[in-house]
Amino acid sequence: MGLSTKAVKKSPWVFHVNTGACNNCDIEIVDLLTPRFDVERFGIKLVGSPRHADALLVTGGVTAQAAPRLREVYRQTPKPCVVFAIGACACGKGIFTTGYHMVGPVDKIIREIDPDAIIAYVPGCPPKPEAIISGVVKALAAI
Amino acid sequence: MNQQQLNTRISEIRDKLTAIEQKPDNRIWLSCESENAYAVNKFLFEEVPLRFVIATVIDSDDYFEVLYHYAYDEIGCMVTLKALIRDRENPAIESIAPFLPGAEWIEREMHDLMGIEFRNHPDMRRLILSDDWPVGVYPLRKDAKKPAERPDGEPSRRPTVQSQSPARRTVQLSKPVLPVGPFHPLQEEMELFQLAVDGEIVTDIDMRISYNHRGMEKIAETLQFDQVPFLVSRICGICSASHPLAYVQAVEEFAGITPPDRALYVRTIINELERIHSHILWVGLAGHFIGYDTVFMWAWKYREPVLDLLEEITGNRNNYGNVRIGGCREDIPDELKPKIIAEMDKIEKKMVMLTKAVLDDPVLHVRLKGIGILKKEDAINYCVTGPTARASGVDIDVRRDEPYAAYGVLNWNVITQPEGDVFAKAVVRLLETLEAIKIVKEALVKLPKGPVAIEVKQIPAGEGCGHAEAPRGETFHYVRSDGGNRPVRHKMRAPSYVNVPSFKASCLGGNIADVTITLASVDPCYSCTERLAVVKDRGGKVLHDYETLLKLSREKTEKIRKEIL
Ligand code: SF4
Repeated sequence: MGLSTKAVKKSPWVFHVNTGACNNCDIEIVDLLTPRFDVERFGIKLVGSPRHADALLVTGGVTAQAAPRLREVYRQTPKPCVVFAIGACACGKGIFTTGYHMVGPVDKIIREIDPDAIIAYVPGCPPKPEAIISGVVKALAAI
Repeated sequence: MNQQQLNTRISEIRDKLTAIEQKPDNRIWLSCESENAYAVNKFLFEEVPLRFVIATVIDSDDYFEVLYHYAYDEIGCMVTLKALIRDRENPAIESIAPFLPGAEWIEREMHDLMGIEFRNHPDMRRLILSDDWPVGVYPLRKDAKKPAERPDGEPSRRPTVQSQSPARRTVQLSKPVLPVGPFHPLQEEMELFQLAVDGEIVTDIDMRISYNHRGMEKIAETLQFDQVPFLVSRICGICSASHPLAYVQAVEEFAGITPPDRALYVRTIINELERIHSHILWVGLAGHFIGYDTVFMWAWKYREPVLDLLEEITGNRNNYGNVRIGGCREDIPDELKPKIIAEMDKIEKKMVMLTKAVLDDPVLHVRLKGIGILKKEDAINYCVTGPTARASGVDIDVRRDEPYAAYGVLNWNVITQPEGDVFAKAVVRLLETLEAIKIVKEALVKLPKGPVAIEVKQIPAGEGCGHAEAPRGETFHYVRSDGGNRPVRHKMRAPSYVNVPSFKASCLGGNIADVTITLASVDPCYSCTERLAVVKDRGGKVLHDYETLLKLSREKTEKIRKEIL
């Protein structure tokens, strides 16, 4: 296990990207920081720039306007990085599947620029904070 | 004015109209030809005067209809003006934005989605569709391709359609410099704000939305009436009780359905629980923006038990989807009542403490008073709603003005503040939370026995408007049915849609250290403030990004604290 992989597993710094979510998934992610869940205990930290991140928490089914931004964020994130598709929208566009402005889901957009990207899925609408934590833990164990 | 006087007042412009209809009593439907729309709108907005809510454009095969929705809050009456555009090839109508700034965005949106041209609009750039959307493809038209298919055609690659009168954009904003915009852990939706500054003073603000545009109005046309509430509760995660309620009320209105009493109380309780957790969430974020991170953590901690209660009642922490046409999906079990009341008592104590702490904190007074003032005239011109309006002395609240659910029979107060600054908005929200707790408790005590829904067999043809007071303001839904099992047109308007453009009035002339908290004070669906780029007016270099702005804001608080204490 290389040093960077070890760092990712020990203390993943995550960056949150909203690509057209309804806010709920996003609020649940922020909720993870606050006293009840307090994921910083485990070394998980939300950071302010993709350049500092080990993992991306992506919410929303990717709107046409957000897609180029998502690609750009992914490019800026140092590899290896794990992309988490949080919520039904990010996993498969969810209830917005038929929308004319939706170009996602997340894995499609990311794979366009990196076919080997590591993508983990946390379904739910919105997934409960516990589910998000469990998803992150499982994905990190699998690396 | 009472209903009679309002009708008389409106009939003064009779000669410009082709029809006046009243059904039910507090809904007036006017029709006119497109040439007269400008005059009638001006009369309705300036002379009567009515509050502009939103406009809807409908593709009716041979012609386009532009519906202008107005509200007269004193008696809870809604007035809708239908203007017919008969020229399908080059649909055009006079813009009302020159005298009604609150209509600027919706006209741009109608132009994007339906291809209607608004003559003399001050700023006809693209608003809601993505930069690479093909020119001349209008997704809401009936002849548009199936919703799932991306239209082909030459991508425009032009960020915006040319502005018709460039004079309006006083400061030429340089190109967006940041590819993605600054991100931040608390970042929510993507909206790009560009500020032009002169020294420390904000001189212009430009906004770009679309990042979050999911095309829900079109999706709603593909869903059955019963499925739509689940869609609209996902417009925004923290207004997920009030959107479906507004929609359901619109349908119940024209279908003549009266839900049972118990359902009305359950709706009230769910909506107020939502208001409580949403306002607490806002208090936390506002604290974060000015450097009070303890408030942020505490507030979000207080919020958790409310989410637990909602989960226990509806099965989900958010996106409850609890309201349906004819009643509610889930009932509040009687065993749960004592628990809810006990929780409410606990939260009340904490909120009273928090409210006192805010009202007594000398630093907050200096930091937030006189900042980001939205004057009453501006509040009216931008047609803002909710706490944003009430903090500027505009006394409107759908819950009182047109009582729905059980609000009419419960005792509670509408909170208003005259100042219009950030402090006033904070006070309104804090006191409203206490009112909401009171409402929940009273509704639980009075909760009548009986079924929680009636069976609905069919939705007839017709059209209706429904609105409800969400934590951020009025949510408005317009539904038209042709007697089938799906809506033919469904217009949704979230409160932030009218509140956010008012930044133009409240931010200009302010200090850049105050921008984050001014934007956040509107509570623009959690917070749009994260996408800030400050652009220099000459030279076009980025001076500050969001992180710096946040820092500036926090430093200013710190400085004030040192001076005072
Ligand atoms: S998965 Fe559900 S909660 Fe999450 S963004 Fe999509 S609609 Fe909202």
